[in-house]
Amino acid sequence: MPESGQERKTKTGRSALAAILAVGFFAGIIFWGGFNTAMELTNTEAFCISCHEMRDNVYREYQNTIHYSNRSGVRATCPDCHVPREWVHKVARKIRATNELYHKLMGTINTPGKFEAKRLQMARNVWRTMKKTDSRECRNCHDYASMDYVKQERRAMIQHDQGLESGQTCIDCHKGIAHELPAMYEVDPSAAIGP
Amino acid sequence: MKLNRREFIKLNAAAATAAAAGLSLPGISTALTQYRDTIRWDKAPCRFCGTGCGVLVGTRNGRVVATQGDLKNPVNRGLNCVKGYFLAKILYAQDRLTRPLLRMRDGKHHKEGHFTEITWDQAFDIMAEKWKAALKAKGPSAVGMFGSGQWTIWEGYAASKLYKAGFRSNNLDPNARHCMASAVGGFMRAFGSDEPMGCYDDLEAADAFVLWGANMAEMHPILWTRLADTRLNKPGAEVHVLSTFWNRCFDLADNGIVFTPHTDLVILNYIANHIIQKKAYNREFIDRHTVFTSAATDIGYGLRPEHPLERKAANPGNGSMTGISFEEYARLVEPYTLEHAAKLSGVPKEKLLRLAELYADPARKIASFWTMGFNQHTRGVWVNGLVYNVHLLMGKISEPGNSPFSLTGQPSACGTAREVGTFSHRLPSELVVTKKEHRDFAEAVWKLPEGTIPGKPGYHAVLQNRMLRDGRLNAYWVQCTNNLQAAANINQEALLGYRNPDNFIVVSEVYPTVTALAADLILPSAMWVEKEGAYGNAERRTQFWRQQVKAPGEARSDLWQTVEFSKRFKVEEVWPEELIAKKPEYRGKTLYDILFANGQVDRFPAREIVDDQGNRYDNDEMAHFGFYIQKGLFEEYRRFNVGGLKIGHELAPFDTYHQVRGLRWPVIKGQETLWRYREGYDPYVGKGEGVRFYGKPDGKARIIFAPYEPPAESPDEEYDLWLSTGRVLEHWHSGSMTRRVPELHRAVPEALVYMHPEDAKARGLRRGLVARIQSRRGEILAQVETRGRNRPPRGLIFVPWFDEGRLINKVTLDATDPLSKETDYKKCAVKVTKAKLV
Amino acid sequence: MKTIPATAFAILFLSLAVPPPALAEGGLKSLRGDRPIGEESLQPAFTKWQHDSKPIARQFIQQPPVIPHSIEGYTINKKFNKCLTCHSWANYKKAGATKVSLTHFTNRDGVELANIAARRYFCTQCHVPQLDVDPLVPNAFQPVELLNGQR
Repeated sequence: MPESGQERKTKTGRSALAAILAVGFFAGIIFWGGFNTAMELTNTEAFCISCHEMRDNVYREYQNTIHYSNRSGVRATCPDCHVPREWVHKVARKIRATNELYHKLMGTINTPGKFEAKRLQMARNVWRTMKKTDSRECRNCHDYASMDYVKQERRAMIQHDQGLESGQTCIDCHKGIAHELPAMYEVDPSAAIGP
Repeated sequence: MKLNRREFIKLNAAAATAAAAGLSLPGISTALTQYRDTIRWDKAPCRFCGTGCGVLVGTRNGRVVATQGDLKNPVNRGLNCVKGYFLAKILYAQDRLTRPLLRMRDGKHHKEGHFTEITWDQAFDIMAEKWKAALKAKGPSAVGMFGSGQWTIWEGYAASKLYKAGFRSNNLDPNARHCMASAVGGFMRAFGSDEPMGCYDDLEAADAFVLWGANMAEMHPILWTRLADTRLNKPGAEVHVLSTFWNRCFDLADNGIVFTPHTDLVILNYIANHIIQKKAYNREFIDRHTVFTSAATDIGYGLRPEHPLERKAANPGNGSMTGISFEEYARLVEPYTLEHAAKLSGVPKEKLLRLAELYADPARKIASFWTMGFNQHTRGVWVNGLVYNVHLLMGKISEPGNSPFSLTGQPSACGTAREVGTFSHRLPSELVVTKKEHRDFAEAVWKLPEGTIPGKPGYHAVLQNRMLRDGRLNAYWVQCTNNLQAAANINQEALLGYRNPDNFIVVSEVYPTVTALAADLILPSAMWVEKEGAYGNAERRTQFWRQQVKAPGEARSDLWQTVEFSKRFKVEEVWPEELIAKKPEYRGKTLYDILFANGQVDRFPAREIVDDQGNRYDNDEMAHFGFYIQKGLFEEYRRFNVGGLKIGHELAPFDTYHQVRGLRWPVIKGQETLWRYREGYDPYVGKGEGVRFYGKPDGKARIIFAPYEPPAESPDEEYDLWLSTGRVLEHWHSGSMTRRVPELHRAVPEALVYMHPEDAKARGLRRGLVARIQSRRGEILAQVETRGRNRPPRGLIFVPWFDEGRLINKVTLDATDPLSKETDYKKCAVKVTKAKLV
Repeated sequence: MKTIPATAFAILFLSLAVPPPALAEGGLKSLRGDRPIGEESLQPAFTKWQHDSKPIARQFIQQPPVIPHSIEGYTINKKFNKCLTCHSWANYKKAGATKVSLTHFTNRDGVELANIAARRYFCTQCHVPQLDVDPLVPNAFQPVELLNGQR
């Protein structure tokens, strides 16, 4: 019977749809969960320094800085400063990270010499992003409104009051606080010698 | 002319700048001489390191009120390091010693008594009594003196005369033994003449710099400014830094190399091998100007003879060399391959290769610098030789920019300790006590009977402390040095020696150092510009200064003390009859009459000291003795250099040095010598000779093969870390002067232990906690630093020695280079544990 | 009220009657204080950097100013000089910092340069920060009267 056939068809269609939905639902959960798990996995310091380029250069430098060790023991890890917290920005950053994977495969910075040669370019990328986002990742922890000037040194207070009020952003002054700086002659010729 | 305050400051500043630049601004100088707020500016070399920077000393109302870098001085052209800028303050800490102090109980000397003020007469009385008793009981070997590379030239010369001629004891040694002796050994073996062939002009002339165990950024800051100037301005200039830990020099390094302690011996032999394998050597230079030899091996570690390591050594203290051919030399260095060197040194191959290729490139001019990393080394003489080998193989020597250069740590390690020859085996101008001909010459100059100077070397620095401990050296005078802080293993040697009841220890000091406090008698000394002086720096530059101010209280210069003490001895009390019989006219005379009022030293009558501006200066020694004693001593000393037994050490006349900003010897016909042994620069090298190493009779330098041999003490299971000691920029040596300058003290108040964070972590420590540092000999406490200016690799710690509150030399080992007798302060084994916070 | 002078007299009397504890060396002290040479090291002082302040007065006009703030973590190497990011002539106004002295633009040969002279590049060779710690021994150096404010 057409009807019954149709009915059967419809029935079959429905159950297929249900199956698809069910599979999709579970796959979605698995995929989504997996995606997020994977994303979170790549969002740890351990993952970052599993690359020797990171471990031997920037990570080592960072261990000598206040973001690694300080009075109260509150510590920033790589993703705290380098990966946005909001989901959309985070995914966008992760997609851009495929470019880093490509360079990892190509060995673009796999020796200290090569790393040093690219340091300025890489640093500029980070500075540009931070400038564009008004140092968004810094502000995850350092909320201007929460700074207690009474607790700051005189220099810091003056700089923060004048700088931040006049539209400057964290990275404008705090370059190189966590990693060694590149040759800075191009950035500030008054703070380096020679090209 | 009335000036308001602002105008005054401007005028004064302009005049100071003008004076510094050697200009006299029209109107200004006259205005200033009339004006009551004038500061008198006069030149002096800095009081601290061997760089020998010029400073201008500003004096007003009898006090030093300022110092500044001397623009006219070619060494530093107006710059000083932070220590130099604060020189004015080293004179004025409130605990200056101003009266002689004797340990007394119940009104007389007692070894355990309290320091009590006495007069100079009483001080010399008890000294003379103790010296005479020691001489009578055991002869000249029972008296001794420990001097200084910070002595002025005439202080060292006078002490040398008093001991070697007066007391007939060669037990005179300078603290330069601790810092320069290996360099001296290296120079004498390779070239037959001490001190560098090049000069500081190499800092501008070189294309590349290699630092071998010299943290110039901290220890020779002004030379570092010149090196940095060249590196940052000259296209293609390179800096290679070798050290056993990361230090400030690495901030400028193009090739920074951290190597396992002691493997510099391996790296240098590898470079020599590389040069030979690549056939990069300069065959013509080698054939014409060098001779190949090989050093005796298994030579021990300069410890006490009963030490197991000394008993085990096949040739303890053997410095002999055997002639070999170039081919034999090539075979000896052949095992030192890149692989072998990388393995032993722990340095990546590409870094070693880059260094070797730099030396092997005939087109690059290279200056190699070293200081204590090489010299304080149980194979220090060897390793000095190995760097000469590399330069000689390439012919990169004795010309602008090609310069193996041994830097010095003290302001007159060269001028006084080495040139005057205050070592236990030396006489002035590189003569030695062991050669009859040399003793004869010295005795002739000094108008002494033949046989006055003993022919056997006396006790060197390390041996002096051992002999004090053993009670064989009983009357002992320390001037101008803080050896209870500086000597290694002080708990087991020096401290026991100084406090040995058989001994009477005299310390001439400006401040109450630990050495002074361990003495029986403290004599208050004048320092730096409180007396007329002369220093000789590392580039052979002799520099003079006038007395600028008076010393406080009853403080007197070391020169005054030494010469005045000589008046207390009748010749019959110190010389045997058969010696006096050779010069009967000396009968009944004092050592003062024989040594200083000898018709030579007292030849120049007292006169007023006036500079070309008409400023007048004191000379307290001249006023006291009644003749220009500094000039008399210097002119007599000059007879060893001009027309002496060895050519190439000529100094200019006394008065010349008061006019100039120093001159680099040899000074021939008024001209200083910048590069020795090279035709066109050194007048002793004839036309067509090109190069002649005239310190050796055959005119040829020695390329001396020496192998790697292990250090005296290496880390083991219990004492599992290397300890290296050294200095910091802000403090000089034992810190007795710089720690009394509040600004310098606030910059670096105490010694930290620099270590790797993982090493700290493994011991329950971290930055800021307190570590106990222990060796088999002693222990100290220090706060841990893991991020500071020095960053050791895992397995090594670094502790500076300036801190009297810690005294790291309780921990160090008194192993020496068995040839130079210089202590290795850079290597011993320690363990580090967490200390309880209190 | 009457008891106070009595107590003061008692204290004064006691202080005169009881000699101060005997110093090991008759009052003479090294920089180890009273601690004998053979004994344990002094405990570290756990010093902290002085708080930021305005420029610290010089003791004579040629003195390089000491640094009135901590410089922990500051880098000066061949690539970059952190100090100059505030103290260079290009940056000092914005940073509110003291500008580098004019003397720093002259090289060894007296040639005036466009940028800081390389020989002056490593600031910490002459300028040092200060920890919050008292001098070990008072220093009686006296600046000229003008700088001492005594005129």
